[in-house]
Amino acid sequence: MLDLYDKIQDACEFIRKQFPTAPRAGIILGTGLGGLVGDIEIEATIEYGDIPHFPKSTATSHRGRLVCGKLSGVPVVAMEGRFHMYEGYPLKQITLPVRVFKELGAELLIVSNACGGLNPYFRSGDIMVIEDQINLLGDNPLIGINDDRLGPRFPDMCEPYNQQLVDMTLAIARREGINAHKGVFVAVAGPNLETRAEYRFLRTIGADVVGMSTVPETIVAVHCGLKVVGLSVVTDMCLPDALKPANVEDIIAIANSAEPKLRTLVRGIVAEAGHIRVA
Amino acid sequence: MTPETELRSEALNSALAFVQTRIKLRPKAALILGSGLGQLADKIENAVSIPFTEIPGFARSTAGGHRGELVIGIFAAQPVVAMAGRLHRYEGHSNDDVAFPVHVMRQLGADVLVASNAAGGVNPKLCVGDIVILQDSLDWMRGPYQFLRANRPANESPSRRGETYDESLAEAALRCSHKNGFAAYFGTYLATLGPTYETRAEYRMMRRLGVDVVGMSTVPEVLAARELGMRVLALSMVSNVARPDEFVIANHEEVLTAGRAAAVKMEAIVRDVFAKL
Repeated sequence: MLDLYDKIQDACEFIRKQFPTAPRAGIILGTGLGGLVGDIEIEATIEYGDIPHFPKSTATSHRGRLVCGKLSGVPVVAMEGRFHMYEGYPLKQITLPVRVFKELGAELLIVSNACGGLNPYFRSGDIMVIEDQINLLGDNPLIGINDDRLGPRFPDMCEPYNQQLVDMTLAIARREGINAHKGVFVAVAGPNLETRAEYRFLRTIGADVVGMSTVPETIVAVHCGLKVVGLSVVTDMCLPDALKPANVEDIIAIANSAEPKLRTLVRGIVAEAGHIRVA
Repeated sequence: MTPETELRSEALNSALAFVQTRIKLRPKAALILGSGLGQLADKIENAVSIPFTEIPGFARSTAGGHRGELVIGIFAAQPVVAMAGRLHRYEGHSNDDVAFPVHVMRQLGADVLVASNAAGGVNPKLCVGDIVILQDSLDWMRGPYQFLRANRPANESPSRRGETYDESLAEAALRCSHKNGFAAYFGTYLATLGPTYETRAEYRMMRRLGVDVVGMSTVPEVLAARELGMRVLALSMVSNVARPDEFVIANHEEVLTAGRAAAVKMEAIVRDVFAKL
């Protein structure tokens, strides 16, 4: 029953054959945000389908490969394309890559997503550094017998996103002239977007942005002891009293146009956090 | 009936037959001794203990610190059947797995259920060690109750059947707290899947929703007990208090000390309630 440990070893063994360097950071690139791989000095690319136990991504504009190399001179492993609950994958499988990053030697996880903005002070195309999260997926990747080799039975979640790194990311944004907010990400299962009533509800419970990813990966990162930085790109504003129908092409276009800002931040985070030890 | 519920029906009959060969008395009350009431199992007189693993149909408990035994005997002059340890959804068990022992205890004869748990205090008035007497609960565990549904008479809808938590038992519990001079409040329990503890943002959300305590148990057993016509008293021991606006690491020694004190309070409540059955 505790086969997850062996799956991680299988996947790592396969990846190490093509990229023997221990990465300092793992990076997950969300919808429309794959362009960052252009900044990586690529040493290996591995299709998810070739890695033992990895699922294949079926989501729009997700490539589905692992890009290994150096970013800002720091060894990283980046997922170009991620897995979502709405694709039908169990959360344990969706989060397997996070455990693989940890086992390969990473200390830091940078996770990005495209999201809907609930906080009326945000604008489409803005970036929000995730300060905290709410799990409304109705599921949890840690359900089942706990394998104590991988992490504790009841992980504490009082600081899922490293506050020191949140501050550092906001400082990088200010230095680079990027308008970045700090706020709360709420995850829903999707795949339908929210009703106006649901947007009001999510705002009432304290969320600033809403998306269909990230929370499972962060929970598992906390479980296995990775430090997490979360970056949300606001691709459409979800203001219930002035709501327009969402258009996936528009959302991806906004994500693509905001993507250079995300790249700048990720490069900066890796350059600073990759060379210093975060307490 | 699906093949799965049919199997469970057979398991229920086997479990009953198995337990009945080991005991002589007919229990009147059922107890679920979660965190906070574990020590009570040792105070049951003329006790017969049966490990869950020996009883047909019982899922295996993997939670640390939980014993996993059915203990049948006399407590506070009442014949009781007690679960020392319980099953949790976060272990991967279904609602039907978690509620199965309640079906067994009901069929053994119990028509009252007293369930306890340790929970996180969401309402800012709560202190570590306080007792919350459940008046209502929110079920955020989701998931079907196939076995329960299959056992419902054909033309009966899943009605509310009055209150979930019995008012007179709750009143008796509150009076006990007055008599003994400790803090107990009526409140609403939110059941989450776990196993992660709440983020600060989640605590803030729960406050806005009107939640008093949050935990990872109790609701599946209570819903089953109500469907089966039992009267229910559920007690939460506040084992930590959420302080989303202030960064505090829980002091474990303090939590353990408060836990021991709360156990005495819970036991007093159970004794008082049983005296009036």
